[in-house]
Amino acid sequence: MALIIPFIFIFVFAFAAIRRVNVYKSFTAGIKDGFDFTLSLLPCLAAIFMMCEIFEVSGLADMFTRLLAPVFGFLGIPEQLTKLVLIKPFSGSGSLAYLNEIIKGYGADSYVARCACVCFGSSETVFYISAVYFAGVKVKKLALPIFCVLTATFISTVVACLICRVM
Amino acid sequence: MNVIFTAVTIASFIALAIFAPDRLLPSLLGGAENAARTAFTLFCIYAVWMGLSRLAEESGLSRGIARGLTPVTRKIFATGGGAEDEAIAMNISCNLLGLGGAATPFAVKAIGELEKKNNAFAQKLLFVINATSIQILPTTVIALRASAGSVSPSDIFLPSLICTAVSTLTAVLLFVAGNKIWR
Repeated sequence: MALIIPFIFIFVFAFAAIRRVNVYKSFTAGIKDGFDFTLSLLPCLAAIFMMCEIFEVSGLADMFTRLLAPVFGFLGIPEQLTKLVLIKPFSGSGSLAYLNEIIKGYGADSYVARCACVCFGSSETVFYISAVYFAGVKVKKLALPIFCVLTATFISTVVACLICRVM
Repeated sequence: MNVIFTAVTIASFIALAIFAPDRLLPSLLGGAENAARTAFTLFCIYAVWMGLSRLAEESGLSRGIARGLTPVTRKIFATGGGAEDEAIAMNISCNLLGLGGAATPFAVKAIGELEKKNNAFAQKLLFVINATSIQILPTTVIALRASAGSVSPSDIFLPSLICTAVSTLTAVLLFVAGNKIWR
């Protein structure tokens, strides 16, 4: 598995050189694309990160967690996971920090930590991705796709907690 | 996005005004700083992967990979088999290999190409697939577990694979069904 990355790089660079592409020039041009892209993202990132920060600091995140924990418990999701499940769609770094806490607090091989890992590994930062993907285009009516993704993520969370009991 | 953003920020502002008014400005500034730091990290990731993807593009390599997948993507995304299919094929290949950093630039490129073709359905479908995570090997999580002293860090591989399949399939089915109803 560790050899995949070196193989990809060697293969792409060598292939480009054989096809007589100016490797340095086109690699640099790609980096320029990356730079422009990052700059175009920055306004959206700033707004979303501010929202996440005040949502967390204001205590609303904790309030939601407390409100929803019993509902989650009813569906078989351990209540220690409530906050992780709620934060993941908004913030990758925030939920990663929280996942780390769970792993350290309950032990890497505990049921709660394994559940948390599966949930974390099989979901994405939905709101962040939607901001990145649709930053430069005029597409409207994103409510349906976002709703579908969040529902499916929630269903897979319930499934994850079930599977981790047997596997 | 607008509705969620407005609702969450106003609710948080009110809660902050009541419980901790002096923390409002610092947390906004902290959020912006966090964004700047993330943008810096992202630039590093994109510098590597977009440099590489440009090489793959100009050498004709990504066209070669896409050729195999184009019949499939054309059917699923209702596309015309041009530059957008190439980007979609590369995005999905990178995702499956677990190269998330490389997958995003291709997705953004595909969304841009689809914009020219006015194909909003494909744009949203690509988002749905990417936002439900189609990674085969959850490398970050496995590394975390290993560093926390797990006996077998990779034993979450199979559950993760099942869950990621469940979420992507459910989301795609919901989206396709919903798209038919609300049109």
